Amino acid sequence: MNNVFLLAFKIAFQALRNHKVRTGLAVLGVMIGIAAIIIVFSAGEGINNLVLNQIKSFGSDIIETEIKVPSNKKGLASEQQNSINLLLGAQITTLTLDDMEDINKLPNVKNSYGAIMTQEPITYSKEMRRTIVVSVTASYIDIDRAEVEKGRFFSEAENKGLSQVAVLGSKIKEKLFGENDAIGKSIKIRKTRFRIIGIMKEQGTVMAMNFDDFIYIPVKTMQKKIMGVNYIQYMMHKIKDVSIADITADDIRILLRENHNISPPKNIQKGWADTGKDDFRVVTMAEMMDVFGNINNYLTLLLLAIVTVSLVVGGVGILNVMYVIVNERTSEIGLRKAVGASYSDIMWQFLIESSLITLAGGIIGIVFGIIISYLISIGANSYGLDWSFIVPIKAFVVAIVFSTVFGIFFGAYPARKAARMNPVEALRHE
Amino acid sequence: MSLIEVKNLDKTYYSGEIETPAVKGVSFNINKGEFVAIMGPSGSGKSTLMHILGLLDKATSGEYFFDDQNAKYLNDNELAFLRNEKMGFVFQAFNLLPRTTVLDNVKLPLTYSKKEFDHNEKAKKALADVELSNRLDYYTNEISGGEKQRVAIARALVNDPSIIFADEPTGNLDSKTGKQIINILQKLNETGNTIILVTHDKEIAKHANRIIHLKDGLIISDEPVE
Repeated sequence: MNNVFLLAFKIAFQALRNHKVRTGLAVLGVMIGIAAIIIVFSAGEGINNLVLNQIKSFGSDIIETEIKVPSNKKGLASEQQNSINLLLGAQITTLTLDDMEDINKLPNVKNSYGAIMTQEPITYSKEMRRTIVVSVTASYIDIDRAEVEKGRFFSEAENKGLSQVAVLGSKIKEKLFGENDAIGKSIKIRKTRFRIIGIMKEQGTVMAMNFDDFIYIPVKTMQKKIMGVNYIQYMMHKIKDVSIADITADDIRILLRENHNISPPKNIQKGWADTGKDDFRVVTMAEMMDVFGNINNYLTLLLLAIVTVSLVVGGVGILNVMYVIVNERTSEIGLRKAVGASYSDIMWQFLIESSLITLAGGIIGIVFGIIISYLISIGANSYGLDWSFIVPIKAFVVAIVFSTVFGIFFGAYPARKAARMNPVEALRHE
Repeated sequence: MSLIEVKNLDKTYYSGEIETPAVKGVSFNINKGEFVAIMGPSGSGKSTLMHILGLLDKATSGEYFFDDQNAKYLNDNELAFLRNEKMGFVFQAFNLLPRTTVLDNVKLPLTYSKKEFDHNEKAKKALADVELSNRLDYYTNEISGGEKQRVAIARALVNDPSIIFADEPTGNLDSKTGKQIINILQKLNETGNTIILVTHDKEIAKHANRIIHLKDGLIISDEPVE
């Protein structure tokens, strides 16, 4: 009992027990903040895994080439400008199927497909809806993991011959035809009629795009009969040796610069964010994973910033509660001082009270956060997302550090106020 | 030998520019075993004086020796120690802890004590002294005013203090219950306790052995009760 700390602990515990509702409310406040931290971290990890798994599902033997708006800026700045320009409707018309043919001749490239992805009005029996039309070369079905469920994919001969044939994603098929057979029927894309020759296997949502809503048509038909253009938007290349993917990507860059009459950059920056002058961008899967990893880190940071704000609000809540507690118990503090409590006795009592509140809130919050995170993963999985339930160690560390710091920081001021109270005035307080 | 020695004690309250003198240079001694009533109308400085004597407040100037220690030079821990070990307080408003049992209230000073002994034993004995052995596990909102004040007295007694300060202990009680409380204090005095009773009530003050009369912060009389 001689131990000031032990004594204060005992007194604080009694005080909390004697004010169950008030204690409960304060604990609840902390709990919500701490649970939020755990959920944010766990969700961040879940998203990260989801995206990485899906990128991996493309296969690491894939290199992507896509159009890009040239700019004078470098690195990230040119990337940002590119995204803005594309959003504003900039057209890059230099990437063609001839480029693809040339790339296919590179020694490490096994095969490629070229594509245009657009949103188009689709008509079937007077009903019009908009969906994404993926116009590709026939090699798409060999390179992409997508598979045909019923009927067949179009051939390269049909592509070259500008055939008006279409393959439907499983969901858009259901939306247009229901249970009825769609093969042999025709739909209109814009004003052009297409015959349905195949239905794709269900794929689910990948990176917020529902592949099952897609309609696949030959890219040349799209170019000549619908858009009246000569370009494509992107290509996917399957390579033979993954270990030299970087070299192959560079070979593709050199080739395309030659084809597009672009002078090579003076200082070559490694990787996909290389130079502003290029009107294309070549990305290996490994690089893409890095990028998503980065994006995910920023996302987690952003979420964390939001959580911090909510925690500060929670902390001010603790401060408020402790302040009220101290005020409400002014005469008790006076009495305790009169019967022999010293400055440190009172200080510790209130500091420990607030620490116990935050500790309890922290523990319950962690448990609660884990449960919610688990439920989120179950929910996501039931929606067909490959969402893994992980609570990273850093979530616990941050949660524990936060609750400790908040307990002390927001408990200290009211505790000091209580300890410094003049016993005479405190006693008079009613 | 004097337990309390007061020399030219002054207490002035400052609020902004305004000075309010409450006690103006009083001097007196109180010996062990005395039962002293400090009397005076409200505003006479009697409560202020008691707070200084009880080491709850500091004098503006002058000297106060408690048990030969100059209060001026005591730090917070030493003051807390003396209040805990040597003093007991009884207040007009009882000042019991709410939502707490009678027994736990009486044990409160012991939790801050450095001495080793059985707290329950000690508290039960103090409650027996005020004839409340039958109320140990009652909560403080379940007992009468007179009982509350007896709990407060038991709390003042529990750590065997050298002196008990009672500040208007009967102020919130009816005259009959007030009488009981005074009788308890008297009995405590007869068994050797030093008691300082602050009151504005002549009838109550009469129970003491000595009355110090205060008016406007000055002692106007200091004489034994015949």
